[in-house]
Amino acid sequence: MTTVVELPTPTVVAPRSRRRALRRVLRNPLAAAGLVVVVVVLAAAALADLLAPYPFDLVDFDATLQPPSLAHWFGTDELGRDQLSRVLHGLRVSMIVGVMSVVLSLVVGVPLGLLAGFYRLLDPVISRLTDTLLAFPFLVLAVGLAAILGPSLTTATVALAVGLLPLIIRVARSETLRLREMDFVAAAVADGADDLELLRRHILPNAVNALLVQATVAVPLAIIGEAILSFLGLGVRPPIPSLGVMIASAQPLFRDGPWLAVIPGVAIVVLTLALNLFGDGLRDALDPRELRR
Amino acid sequence: MRPGGEPLLAVRDLTVRFRTEDGPVLAVDGASFEVAGQETVALVGESGCGKSVTAMALTGLLPPNATVSGEVRFGGDNLQQRSRSALRAIRGREIAYVFQEPMTSLNPVLTIGRQIAEVLHRHQRLRGAPARRRAVELLDLVGIPLPARRLREYPHQLSGGMRQRAMIAMALACTPKLLVADEPTTALDVTVQAGILDVLRTLSAETGTAVLLITHDLGVVADIADRVVVMYAGRVIEEADVDDLFARPGHPYTRGLLDAVPNPARRSDGSLREIPGRVPVLASSPDACTFADRCSRADSTCRVHRPELVPGPAGHPVRCWHPLAPVVAGERR
Ligand SMILES: Nc1ncnc2c1ncn2[C@@H]1O[C@H](COP(=O)(O)OP(=O)(O)OP(=O)(O)O)[C@@H](O)[C@H]1O
Ligand SMILES: [Mg+2]
Repeated sequence: MTTVVELPTPTVVAPRSRRRALRRVLRNPLAAAGLVVVVVVLAAAALADLLAPYPFDLVDFDATLQPPSLAHWFGTDELGRDQLSRVLHGLRVSMIVGVMSVVLSLVVGVPLGLLAGFYRLLDPVISRLTDTLLAFPFLVLAVGLAAILGPSLTTATVALAVGLLPLIIRVARSETLRLREMDFVAAAVADGADDLELLRRHILPNAVNALLVQATVAVPLAIIGEAILSFLGLGVRPPIPSLGVMIASAQPLFRDGPWLAVIPGVAIVVLTLALNLFGDGLRDALDPRELRR
Repeated sequence: MRPGGEPLLAVRDLTVRFRTEDGPVLAVDGASFEVAGQETVALVGESGCGKSVTAMALTGLLPPNATVSGEVRFGGDNLQQRSRSALRAIRGREIAYVFQEPMTSLNPVLTIGRQIAEVLHRHQRLRGAPARRRAVELLDLVGIPLPARRLREYPHQLSGGMRQRAMIAMALACTPKLLVADEPTTALDVTVQAGILDVLRTLSAETGTAVLLITHDLGVVADIADRVVVMYAGRVIEEADVDDLFARPGHPYTRGLLDAVPNPARRSDGSLREIPGRVPVLASSPDACTFADRCSRADSTCRVHRPELVPGPAGHPVRCWHPLAPVVAGERR
């Protein structure tokens, strides 16, 4: 699960070819399907309040442990709560934690990676940090941190962000190492640019593609991570329905209501699969070997 | 060289050594030359003789494995003693560079306008509409048609020649006193080269910018230079006004370079006559003429005594024990 994806080394991709790249992603059927699923899930999660047929915490003792039916598409749990409504809200929690932890990781990791790649003196220090973090499998690290910080949505996000940090730092660092040797950076130096300008205007904007690809890989990792943390009681706590929480609380009822675990499980698999397919397509589309055609 | 007043740029005894894995490399060996205000000086020599290193050394652009000594006087002060940030303020504003590779020297994700605006903002705090106006003016100056539209375009939307013009526009943004152009036309098609040279020629006339033009193309030199400095293996070996150099080369190496120019009028097959051998890579400065091994006139003196740069038979400085005597025009093949 801690697989670091082999990144292509996109030389440099101009914004217009970035748009062209998106068109190429859409021409790849798997990636296009992935994107469609992600967009649908995002929309459903965002509109959960409107789409959910029932409030996610509405208890109905007259309809407990109902299998999927027309009234309750995804069935109900032991308290008679509508599972479709809970999955929709759960997806929202998953997306929020997944995206926020990656954003947090980017906010911290990109500057660190830029500095490590740009300043030879800082590199050993920052690389030591990444190596230390990498010594723990992503989840072990996140679980440990969440256990120390105490369970909550925020700590789950922070713990996952820390776990993802090495992936982000590594890409930002290697992109910086590559870009600092480029002619246009040398030309900017000869024009009097200082280090901050080089990093902000010349190196970072050209590293965006690689970071984008890595981020699309990191989001599904974080989503699975959140589910596992919540499953272990270290993330989101009931009654907030996260997909992990739902699977965890469905465990003792597996015999009487298997759909309670299976449906959120399938939701996680479909979502992460879709994100990965889209990420792969994006990576291929931004590959300079493809761009040359 | 020039009578009256200090030259714009005076390089004295510039020496550059590199520490490399294969041992030390002496890239520039006590080079001295001057560039006066508004003058176009060509720095010529074969590949590897230290032209680019000399240019980079002027404003401290060399990598950390370089050791530089000597003096670079620019507008009266010694740049060798300036701090890093002082040099940064000079780069792009007083001394601007144009490099060989227009295809890769522009940032691919920023529009041409943004890149020019950046230089204007950096050195002149110019922003917004005034910066835009100035950028249009600059593109116009370097002969880019539809400048207002080009400003919104990305480098990949421009041809090589247009990109090099844009690079020159960026370099001229702050009306530098000296433009260092390191082989600005080498990477371009012959048809495009002429246009770029035109720009360089008119610009020094219009803006009063002095140009240090680095090239190994003597055709280019004849076209636009006022004066020529010839380098060989890190040393300056001859220096003369352009007509003088072409008419009366004193150093056998210069003569060899001139003979290597494809000149249809002179050689009907249009082929190059190369100087046999290659520029040596030296670890230290030998007490000898560094060209001796490739020179048909070399004798024992050349191999054990270092020639100095002194006025030769034609009147201009030559670093040679046996400089060529001036030939009467028309006598050369
Ligand atoms: N960063 C460096 N490290 C070590 N040696 C270097 C470095 N830069 C240049 N050199 C050496 O310095 C010498 C002069 O190089 P320079 O680039 O100035 O040549 P040049 O005259 O510009 O040639 P060209 O026409 O090919 O551009 C060469 O022998 C080169 O190998
Ligand atoms: Mg060079």
